[in-house]
Amino acid sequence: MLECRGITKSYGRKTAVDHISLKLEPGHIYAMLGPNGSGKTTLMKMAAGLVKPNAGDFFYQGNPVGKESRREIAYMSTEPYFYSWMSAGDVGKYYEDFFDDFSMERYLSLLERMELTPDLKTKALSSGMMAKLKIAVTMARKAKVYLLDEPLNGIDLLARDVIVQTVIEECGPKVALVISSHLVDELERVVDTAIFMKEGHLVLMGDIEELRMERGKSVVDLYREIYGHMGEKAD
Amino acid sequence: MLQLMKYEFRKTRFSKMVLLAITAILEVLFLAGIFLDWENGIGWGTIGLTFCAMIGVFYIGLESLMVFHRDLNTKQSYMLFLTPRDSFQILGSKVIENGISLFLAGSFFVLLGMLDLSVVMAYYGELRNFLDMLRELLSVFEIHVDVTTADVLFVILSLLFSWLMTIVTGMLAVILAATVLAGKKFSGVVSFAIFLLLTWGCQSVMNLVPELPGLLYYLPGIALALLFTVVMYLISGWIMEKQLSV
Amino acid sequence: MEYNTAIPIYLQVMTSIKRDIVTGRIQPGEKLPSVRDLAVQYSINPNTVSRVYRELEMEKVCFTRRGMGTFVTEDAEIVSQLRETMAQDLVGQFLEGIRGLGIPESEAARLLEKYGQQM
Repeated sequence: MLECRGITKSYGRKTAVDHISLKLEPGHIYAMLGPNGSGKTTLMKMAAGLVKPNAGDFFYQGNPVGKESRREIAYMSTEPYFYSWMSAGDVGKYYEDFFDDFSMERYLSLLERMELTPDLKTKALSSGMMAKLKIAVTMARKAKVYLLDEPLNGIDLLARDVIVQTVIEECGPKVALVISSHLVDELERVVDTAIFMKEGHLVLMGDIEELRMERGKSVVDLYREIYGHMGEKAD
Repeated sequence: MLQLMKYEFRKTRFSKMVLLAITAILEVLFLAGIFLDWENGIGWGTIGLTFCAMIGVFYIGLESLMVFHRDLNTKQSYMLFLTPRDSFQILGSKVIENGISLFLAGSFFVLLGMLDLSVVMAYYGELRNFLDMLRELLSVFEIHVDVTTADVLFVILSLLFSWLMTIVTGMLAVILAATVLAGKKFSGVVSFAIFLLLTWGCQSVMNLVPELPGLLYYLPGIALALLFTVVMYLISGWIMEKQLSV
Repeated sequence: MEYNTAIPIYLQVMTSIKRDIVTGRIQPGEKLPSVRDLAVQYSINPNTVSRVYRELEMEKVCFTRRGMGTFVTEDAEIVSQLRETMAQDLVGQFLEGIRGLGIPESEAARLLEKYGQQM
C-alpha cells in the first residue's frame, strides 16, 4: 500500500537515507527502530511528502505521494509544529477544516483520556503535554496509514497505555501503522513487524513472532545485537 | 483554498488589529482637533494618518513575506504541508489573501481620507454652502471632478498592484533561498540579490510601455504588474512542488 | 499480563486462555472476545490475536461460527485432555528443573509429597 524503491536523501554531504526499498502492507503495525540519526525521521517525512528525495520515490496505492496521499496518510512528527496562537481546541478545528477523516468527537475523548482540555494554549504546554496533544490530534483521524515518529518520547506511563491502546484500536485489516522509536520495550507487544535501520540503511525487516521463534530472541535482544553500544547510548 | 486563506488571515490578524487601533486613535485626534479647534490635533492627526496609511499598506505586504519565511523555515511548515493541498494552492492562498488585505486596507484608507476631507470641507466651509457647491459640481463639472478622483484612484491602484508584484517576487526569493540555495553559503544575500534583479527587470519592462492618453495611461502598468504577479506565482509554485523539503 | 518477550507472545496468550478454560473461568461453549477486544484487553497486536485463535482452532480447543465469532469447544473430552496436557507440561518442567539439580526422579516424588502441602 505504501512503498518506496531506492529512495535516497542527503543533506549536504551527509546521506540520511541511502537507497532504501520497502513495502508496507495494510493490517500491520510496524516498529521502525534505530538510534537517533539512523534515518527514521527522514524516511517518514518522505513518506508524508514533506521531504523530497534526491533519488527514488514513495508510492501510495501506486501513485507518488503528495496532495492526494495526505488525505489518507496521517503523519505525526517528533517536533511540535502547531501555530503559537492556537489552543488545543484550535488545533482540533484546524484538523477538522483540512481532513475529512478527522472526528472532533474522538479528538475530545482522546484529549480527556490524556488529561488535557481544549482550552489549553499550545504555547504553555510542557513537552510531555505537547506530545500527548500531537498524538491525540493525529489518532483522531481515521486514516489508512499512520506514521508516528517517536510517539512515546517524553510521555508518562499512564498516557503510554492510552497510546498503545489507541494504536491497537485503530489497527484494522485495511490500516497500516508505523511507529518509530528507540524505546523498544514499549512496542514489543504491540507491533508485529520490525524495521531495523542503521546509518541510513535498512538492516533487517521481519515478523517479530517469527524472529522470536527462529532466534529465540526478543526485539530488545535483537536491537542490542544490531546496534551494540550505539543503541544503548541512544536510550 | 478558502480554509487556507482563513488561516493566512488569522496569522496576521494581530498586526492588522494594531494598525486599526492606531488609525482609530489618530482619527479621534484628528476629529477632536477639528471640532475643538485644536490645531496641533489636526496637524498630528493628518500626518499620523498619512503615515499610517503608507506604512500600514507597506507593512501588510512585508508581514506576509515574514509569515511566508516562517512557514517554510520552521516546524510550523508542517501545518501547511501536511494538509491535502498542493504548493500552488498553499502559495495561491497566500497571494490572494495578501492581495485582498492590501486592497481592503488601501480602500479603507482612501475612503477614510475622503471622509475626513469632506468633514474638513463641511466644517470649515459652511455646511449648506458646501452641499450646494457639491451639487453644482456634480451637475456642471461632472466630467472634470470624475477625472481627478479617478486619477487619484488609478494611481493608488497602480501602486497597490506593483506592490503586490514586489511581494510575490519576494516570495519567489524566499522559496529560492529555501530550496535551490538551501544550505549554501550566502543564500540569504544571493536570494535578496535575485529579488532586486527581478524587481528591477520587471520595472524596466514596465517603463518600456508607450504612454497612452487619458485614463488608459495606467492600464498597461496595472496589466503588466498583474501579469508578472501571475508569472512569479507560477514559477514559485512549481519550484515548491518540485524542490521544497520542509 | 506480563510477557516474556523472548518467547512468541501468541504462545503465551494461548497458554493464558487455555488455563482459563481448564479452570472454568471460561465456560465450554462460551463466546470469546472479538479479535480487536482481546487485542486491547491483552495490549497486543491484533494479528497476534488472530494467530492465537487460529492455533486454538487447529487444536480443536475453539471453533469459529461464521459471522458470529469464536467459541470455546463444548466437548468436555477436549477440555479434560487439555488439562491433562497442561499438567503434563508442568510436570515436565518440574522434572527438568529437578534433574538439573542432579536429584534422581525417584527422589522427586518424595519431595513433592514433603513440600507440596506447605505450598
